[in-house]
Amino acid sequence: MLSIINLKFLNSAQSFILFFLLILLLLVLIVSFSLGSYSFPVLSILMGNTSAIEATIFTEIRVPRVILAAIVGASLSVSGACLQGLFRNPLADPGLIGVSAGAALGASTIIVFGSSLTSAFIFSTFLLPLSACLGSGLVILMLFLLTRGFGHQGVTYMLLVGIAVNAIASVGIGILTFISSDSELRSLTFWTMGSFGGITWSLLIPALIIIFISFLFLLPILRNLDILQLGESEAKRLGVNVKSLKYRIIFASAASVGASVSLSGMIGFVGLVVPHLLRLLSGVNHTYVVIGSALLGSSLMVFADLLSRLLIQPAELPVGLITSAIGSPFFLWLIFRINKI
Amino acid sequence: MTKNFRLILILFFLIFLNPIYVNSCDRAYNPSKITVAGGSITEILYFLEEQSKIVAVDLTSNFPEETKKFPSIGYVRNLSAEGVLSLKPTLVIGEDDMGPPDVVNQIKKTGIDIIILKEEHSSEGIIDKIKCVGEIIGEREKTIDIINNKIMPIKIELDNLSKNLKNQNIKVMFILTMDSGSPIIGGKDTSADGFIKMIGARNAFDSFEGWKPVGTESIIDAAPDIILISNRGAHSYKNLENMHNHPTVKYTPAAINRNIIALDGMQMLGFGPRTIETALYLSKKFQMIENN
Repeated sequence: MLSIINLKFLNSAQSFILFFLLILLLLVLIVSFSLGSYSFPVLSILMGNTSAIEATIFTEIRVPRVILAAIVGASLSVSGACLQGLFRNPLADPGLIGVSAGAALGASTIIVFGSSLTSAFIFSTFLLPLSACLGSGLVILMLFLLTRGFGHQGVTYMLLVGIAVNAIASVGIGILTFISSDSELRSLTFWTMGSFGGITWSLLIPALIIIFISFLFLLPILRNLDILQLGESEAKRLGVNVKSLKYRIIFASAASVGASVSLSGMIGFVGLVVPHLLRLLSGVNHTYVVIGSALLGSSLMVFADLLSRLLIQPAELPVGLITSAIGSPFFLWLIFRINKI
Repeated sequence: MTKNFRLILILFFLIFLNPIYVNSCDRAYNPSKITVAGGSITEILYFLEEQSKIVAVDLTSNFPEETKKFPSIGYVRNLSAEGVLSLKPTLVIGEDDMGPPDVVNQIKKTGIDIIILKEEHSSEGIIDKIKCVGEIIGEREKTIDIINNKIMPIKIELDNLSKNLKNQNIKVMFILTMDSGSPIIGGKDTSADGFIKMIGARNAFDSFEGWKPVGTESIIDAAPDIILISNRGAHSYKNLENMHNHPTVKYTPAAINRNIIALDGMQMLGFGPRTIETALYLSKKFQMIENN
């Protein structure tokens, strides 16, 4: 995998930060694997002397959940970083091109109309994630058609179309909210605040594969993204295939975010802020920002999910609430600190 | 003179102080055309065979099936003043979640008789509610007769069963819906908690208040013996068979012993006459489960 990332573009400070983030992620993962509302010593699981129920909780419930949190965190942050680079706009995030709204529309449809649809399906556990994926896919297709292959009149135009498509999806969600019953409304509300509960291996593995493949598509183009910062026409003259860059970033982001959001619900903030944190720490080089976003995004998400599971147990706090609660004050602090220097 | 003065005083309170929770069971001035906001109240009017007085109902009034023939004033928590008044009712009876408060105040200001009933999640609460509705519509004697003949025998049987200490050991988990990742479960001070207590069993999650999402590990940790879910909540799982195998509940004693029970939501949590019957039915069922 290292052959497709060019690490020579990293300076020593950036390499150090990435190394530190990797250690941080490993630590957070270890803590997250060992703590949960059902408490038992994890070491005994690894040594194999434990009760069947504890082993099941560990392998079937806790491990997939922590892995999901990690890949969702990584995919939201990486897409955020790439989209901010592509649009050369610091406010871009996966929500902006409408992927999240499309997924939300798909999920809401199932939450509200599920009762009349499910009789035709047996694997109903898959229905909500599938519909969410379909929703985000449709939004991207719409964006593609409206901007004539993402190419028409540059990225600003596309940003505007993205906002419009977002608004259209919101209308759909609004209508569904209006006709939903009490319990459906509660489901909708909690879905839009995110949760990693109820995940199983059979749902996790397809998402894992999709997200991994999207990352493979993104990694070789990070240097080109640096060059794009000079402007689209300059980048073209310097030999960057801007069209293919757009395709790669948009399709990879859409696929990975669609896969994540369909399983976790809406988790805002992470995709926007994590790349900025890295830029504020040590420069705008995309090789560093994107890899760093993957590491920091997963650490933040795994940690937030840990808090979501433990803070008010046995109940759970929505994870989206926690990511914003711990992320935004830290982000503010960082902005003020940098300005002082 | 004093009578007029009292009337003026009452009007003054109704118009200017606008207390939302009126909770008086006094006979209404004219109970001939009633708009109902709350499923259990419609159910009670049918139970007292006074359905001819109803002119409109809200969306939560879905039992009996026949209520669909009435014009709908919308959802009980999101009413519009004109909609409620459009059928020219002489009396509006609402459940305590009737709202929004501003709309309730608007309706009050028009001078129409509006009564909001107190909600208490117990069999005594249900009986009080039926009595209250009976008094409001001016059918006190008839109501007491019906309660004595139809409800009291059920309550006495239920109370006897509830006293049985065995049921107290049964841990029940009430799931509202399972669509949003972690299932949303009824904690302390919810209607579900009251319903579980009516059955005479123990709520597996009385450590938090309100309806909250609960993680799989906590569910296994709490080890509920029985899971109650509304038909709507169970809708994603074509049948109960799929529900028993759902990863979030699969490892609970309830799923292992096939004790997941799905019933109509209003039948359990509406706190009308049906709730007390359902509580008795479940109480008997739990006793059988416990004995096996």
